[in-house]
Amino acid sequence: MPDVPNAGQLALLVMAISVFAVGGVLSVCRLRWQGHALRIAAKACLYTGILLSVSVLVWHARDRGSWLPLGDNFDALIWLGLLLALFVSYTQRTRPLRGLDWFIMPIVMLLLIAAAVFGRARPHEYVHTTWSWVHRVTAYGGAAAFAVAGAVGAMYLIANHTLRAKRLNPGAGLGSLERLEHITLVSVTLGFALLTIGSVTGLVWVLEGRNTLGPKWYAQPKVLLTFIAWLVYALVLHSPINPRFRGRKTAMLSVLGFALVVGVLIAVQLMPGKR
Amino acid sequence: MDRLLLLGLNHTTAPLEVRERLAFNAHQRMEALSRFRQQFPNCELVVLSTCNRVELYAAREVHGHPRTEELIQFAAEFHGLPVAHFAPHLYHKANRQVVEHLFHVASSLDSMVLGETQILGQVREAYEAAAQASAAGPLLNPLFQRAIAVGKQVVRDTALNEGRLSIASVAVDYARGIFDHFHDKTVLCVGAGKMATLVLENFVGLKPGCLLVCNRDSAKASAVATRFGGHAVTLDKLADHLIAADIVLTSTGSAHPIVTRQQFDRLRKRRRYRPIFLIDIAVPRDVEPSVGQIDNVYLYNLDDLQQVVSQTQAQRKGAIDAARKIIVQHVESFVAWHRQRELGPAIHQLYNRYHQIAQEELARTLGKLPNVTEAERAHLQDLARRIVNKLLHDPVQAVRHADPEHMPAAQYLHALEKLFQLRERTTDVDSPEDELSDEPRES
Repeated sequence: MPDVPNAGQLALLVMAISVFAVGGVLSVCRLRWQGHALRIAAKACLYTGILLSVSVLVWHARDRGSWLPLGDNFDALIWLGLLLALFVSYTQRTRPLRGLDWFIMPIVMLLLIAAAVFGRARPHEYVHTTWSWVHRVTAYGGAAAFAVAGAVGAMYLIANHTLRAKRLNPGAGLGSLERLEHITLVSVTLGFALLTIGSVTGLVWVLEGRNTLGPKWYAQPKVLLTFIAWLVYALVLHSPINPRFRGRKTAMLSVLGFALVVGVLIAVQLMPGKR
Repeated sequence: MDRLLLLGLNHTTAPLEVRERLAFNAHQRMEALSRFRQQFPNCELVVLSTCNRVELYAAREVHGHPRTEELIQFAAEFHGLPVAHFAPHLYHKANRQVVEHLFHVASSLDSMVLGETQILGQVREAYEAAAQASAAGPLLNPLFQRAIAVGKQVVRDTALNEGRLSIASVAVDYARGIFDHFHDKTVLCVGAGKMATLVLENFVGLKPGCLLVCNRDSAKASAVATRFGGHAVTLDKLADHLIAADIVLTSTGSAHPIVTRQQFDRLRKRRRYRPIFLIDIAVPRDVEPSVGQIDNVYLYNLDDLQQVVSQTQAQRKGAIDAARKIIVQHVESFVAWHRQRELGPAIHQLYNRYHQIAQEELARTLGKLPNVTEAERAHLQDLARRIVNKLLHDPVQAVRHADPEHMPAAQYLHALEKLFQLRERTTDVDSPEDELSDEPRES
């Protein structure tokens, strides 16, 4: 039986979500007020949220009796959120991109909310074999990279629109189009590699006959959506060869690809049985 | 006891020919500070000299020297100018008005270009020079440190310095919105006129990898290219240059567009659909407006850039109130702090003196009462202490909380010292009307 998160763990998770939400509000406030205190407070919220999320994972791993990550869907969704929050924290420390948290932190909050809802209402344990473990790590790692690509792609579209509309303070806050496109392409490249490994290991697992997808596994929403997402990202990666796809089209495809990945994640949560 | 005095002129009161004759360069400033210290050893001075203003901030003893006329004379003698040459353009302020004025200056509210941040560096430079020459002391040190802090806060907390006020810097901002780095970018300037040169100057600051200048007059193109470290290229190969370029600045006198949609569509594939930033500052326009509709092409003409400049101006004007609020808070706080600092020791001295008198009188009385117990003696001592405290409480509170607008701390202090003989004063006294006035006077 999967280890259903207890009230304490859920309370910690709700605290993490709230702290991230406060950080997000403070971050938006910085659009209007430039105070140093606001910047510090927003940063403190980000770090506190990360710390609280790690505490939930540690506590839950202790209860499960296994320190391997991605043990069940509760763990997996928190890990995914945590990876994204760590990416924001790393970027803002090394070369700040002011608008990044407005786009990624809402995804982090949604993932943590999904962990709280699905982890309790539809808890399911993952199968513990080498293939399935590689499949999970690469699939969730890929999803994190695609989330970054989707968020930064959305930033690109807004920044591009602002520049074309010839507004005041061009590019303020969202970074240059060139940098946004670079981050999108790097994230998609990494995500695509991870998704490909995840899909192949998943396929091996299916062909071994040890999955719960049934005989028509290829018609399952999870498999279909993954395949379409893989095609979309292949098209994005095609842009250096066919430069017609660069810029706005790459950004739009990244946003579309991430929407498909979200669909896959939802399909995974709604599937019956062990994965 | 200190007292603030400001003597100055700026772009609103004096023409350039007067300002430049009264200006101090770095060397002159140090010499002026040194001479001032020799002439007025107990006074402080900070000399702020920029393109738009020359201001002398002095702190002196109450009723002491230099007086305003002496400060004017000092400036005139230093520059070897007759007083009449610049006196009509001078303004002078005292005490609170000096604090207000300096905070406005440091926040760039008094600048020719509202919101420019250069002035803050100039105020800091002026203060550091005075500190180095030991000309800034117990009053001008905290005053200038506070002014710099106020200037920084206004920059940080208001929109006063946001945006750009020149077409060239707006264009550079747009370029930064499109490109992340410029070391691998090519800037192409089509036209070599004055306007193009001005904008190009800003783009050269981005350190682009390659700079191409092309013009009908190749000699002119070569001259501009040499000036900015670029290469002169011919206009007949414009299409090839457009393929290589990432940023294109056009400012020719051509009556027809030199870059058309049809022509650009043909180049896109050869450009590998790379983003291109086109700045068309020519009138009539050099680039067909429909070129701007192409994906990854960012076209801005003179009106687009001018519109952003106008929006910035409006935004900065809207931020004046917020900046003034910050200044008012700091002026109040500085004046209160200064008042406390000036009055504190005198009030302390006043209490000490009167407690001492009370204890002396009590000792005399106790000498006449042989049967007083220790407990009764303690009660009487306490009584004497409380009477002194109660008698002094009201006047001291009145002094502490008096409206500084009505009467500055220095005058209360002077009155306290005179009325209660707190310390012997030896300074020569100016006419009361002259020294008690806290109003600024225009010379």
